[in-house]
Amino acid sequence: MIWQWRLSDMKLRTKFVLPISALVMVCMIVLAGYLIQRQSESYHRELESQGETMIKILAINAESGVLFESPYELDPLLSTLSHFSSVEYCLIQNLEGNIISHIGQNHIPLDTLQVLRDCGRESINLVSDYIVGREGKELFVLVYPISTEKKVMPRETLGMTGGVDLSLTQSTVSETIGWIELGMSVESVEQATTHATTAAVFLTLIVLLATILIVILIVNAVVQPITTLVEATDKISRGDFSTIVQTDHDDEIGQLAKTINRMSASLRQSRNEIEQYNRTLEEKIIERTKQLDDAQTQLIQSEKMGAIGQLAAGVAHELNNPLGGILGYAQFTLEKLHKNIPDKTTPKEIEGYLRYVGDIELQTRRCKTIVQNLLRFSRSSRTVDFDEIDVNQVMGGTIAFVEHQLRMNNIELEVQLGTDLPTLQGNAGQLQQVFTNLIINAMHASEQNTVITITSRYHHALGEFGGTVEFNVIDSGHGIAQENIKKIFEPFFTTKDVGKGTGLGLSVSYGIIKEHGGEITVKSEIDKGTTFTVILPVQKKEQLADISKDDNSDGEQSV
Amino acid sequence: MAKILIVDDSKVIRDLLTEFLGELSYQVDSAEDGAKGLKMASDGGYDLCICDVHLPKLNGYQILTELGEARGKMQFIFTDSLPDELADQIRKTTGFACLGKPFDLHQLTEIITQSLEKIHT
Repeated sequence: MIWQWRLSDMKLRTKFVLPISALVMVCMIVLAGYLIQRQSESYHRELESQGETMIKILAINAESGVLFESPYELDPLLSTLSHFSSVEYCLIQNLEGNIISHIGQNHIPLDTLQVLRDCGRESINLVSDYIVGREGKELFVLVYPISTEKKVMPRETLGMTGGVDLSLTQSTVSETIGWIELGMSVESVEQATTHATTAAVFLTLIVLLATILIVILIVNAVVQPITTLVEATDKISRGDFSTIVQTDHDDEIGQLAKTINRMSASLRQSRNEIEQYNRTLEEKIIERTKQLDDAQTQLIQSEKMGAIGQLAAGVAHELNNPLGGILGYAQFTLEKLHKNIPDKTTPKEIEGYLRYVGDIELQTRRCKTIVQNLLRFSRSSRTVDFDEIDVNQVMGGTIAFVEHQLRMNNIELEVQLGTDLPTLQGNAGQLQQVFTNLIINAMHASEQNTVITITSRYHHALGEFGGTVEFNVIDSGHGIAQENIKKIFEPFFTTKDVGKGTGLGLSVSYGIIKEHGGEITVKSEIDKGTTFTVILPVQKKEQLADISKDDNSDGEQSV
Repeated sequence: MAKILIVDDSKVIRDLLTEFLGELSYQVDSAEDGAKGLKMASDGGYDLCICDVHLPKLNGYQILTELGEARGKMQFIFTDSLPDELADQIRKTTGFACLGKPFDLHQLTEIITQSLEKIHT
């Protein structure tokens, strides 16, 4: 388990190099061992064969020397052996065990050789073995009998005389007369074996090194591109998608590199898209937040206007009864004055009374109008008739109506009405009231010799919505102070001189545009001018059917 | 002469109409709330009821519906000081005139004449 973990933990290069080297090393060791073994055996066989040959030749040549027990004859024979470096010692013994001749000092003690000698004495064959000598030296010792041939007379011929051919009756018998012992040094064989071993080890090392080198080169050729890929993927994993793996291979690694490049490119693209989305999202959030803020402001404004409307309705309700009394009594009085003039009253006085009461009636009617405007501001649209109208035409009519007044005030009018405006559901009279109001306000705000611009345009439909129509009334007059902008649609708010305006014009306009489902907004800068914008939805008749079918009259109409 | 009942919670309107219609030789009675108005109308004898829409206890529409058959030939003229849903409902469903306050006396006179003509036709 630990080994496996370690193996899996190793670098690819080590994973390849280690096992292959180990395998090659084991193979080389086995091979070298085998070869050395074979070589060593071969050396030994050669030594043995050499010894055998020598001892046999010596045995033949030593026959007479042993027969006559003549060292003088045997010594020169043995001294020829000194030419052979492998010969450690050699000795020739007679049957009694006396050494007749010998060469070399490195004798094997008799006792260790006794068994071998016994075997040699009893046999006529060669006996040989490896024996450790006196100084711990290993020797190859051979023992071989020296024999001579004897002519033997058969027993029946013994005692016979003359007339017998001896040559015919004699037979030859081989008889051991001594033995020769040869000790050969194994050192040379061992030396040769050692040389061979050294060479084998050296060769093994060379082959091993070469193998490691080749394996490293091969592994490098495979691992280098993988390392490059690993570095590239590491960069990619850390978010550097600009990484491109350079490759001119067309093998699996090359394919992998190309795949990684494609992946990196696709990741880069995805990240760019996500960043783009994020940016767009942020912009959208900001935009929507602003819209939400605007909507909230408008909601607060419209709630406030609603509350004011309720208040106005309450005030109107309370005022209508006393106004009814005032108006009624004024009319009643007028009628009575016309019918029954008191006797003592002069015509001048009568005229005066009629004028007073007439004024009371007139001013009460004015109050009635104000209260009705208040009620209109507070009321819903259910009481107003909506028709298919051309708003440009309504604006045209309004302009014709106020043109004269503008000319009198030396104010120029520039009209840029869109030509593609669709018709929409609305009340022409009410809208004309709004437009008149806006133009007259612009006129009051403008200096002489300035221009009032009126524009209209169509915002095309989005989805199921029918689009909107936008009107702008732009003046370059004195503008509205920032603190007043929020109040201008509130009833009774006016910046005009006392008596010049009731402060109901814009609040009524606001109510009318709301009834049309539209919006009225204002932008203004002090001393630069004011722009009033009216936006009306292009609604379809069926959308308004529920509202318009309900009712067709209101308080004013029924009077 | 025709008998007229005025039902209105505003004293100034009751006084004005009583005096003005009295001058025109109508016989005029008045009530200041819906309950009283209903009782007087039920007792009968009136040709016309000038009735405010918004009244304490019972509103104008309730007086008309409570009366039911007991109304007989009696006509109604409603007045309202606030053109709200109730006034709208009266205008739509009753078929009687509904005048917004403050109303014009001359217009009222005309409508009274028209209403009384209906009784005789």
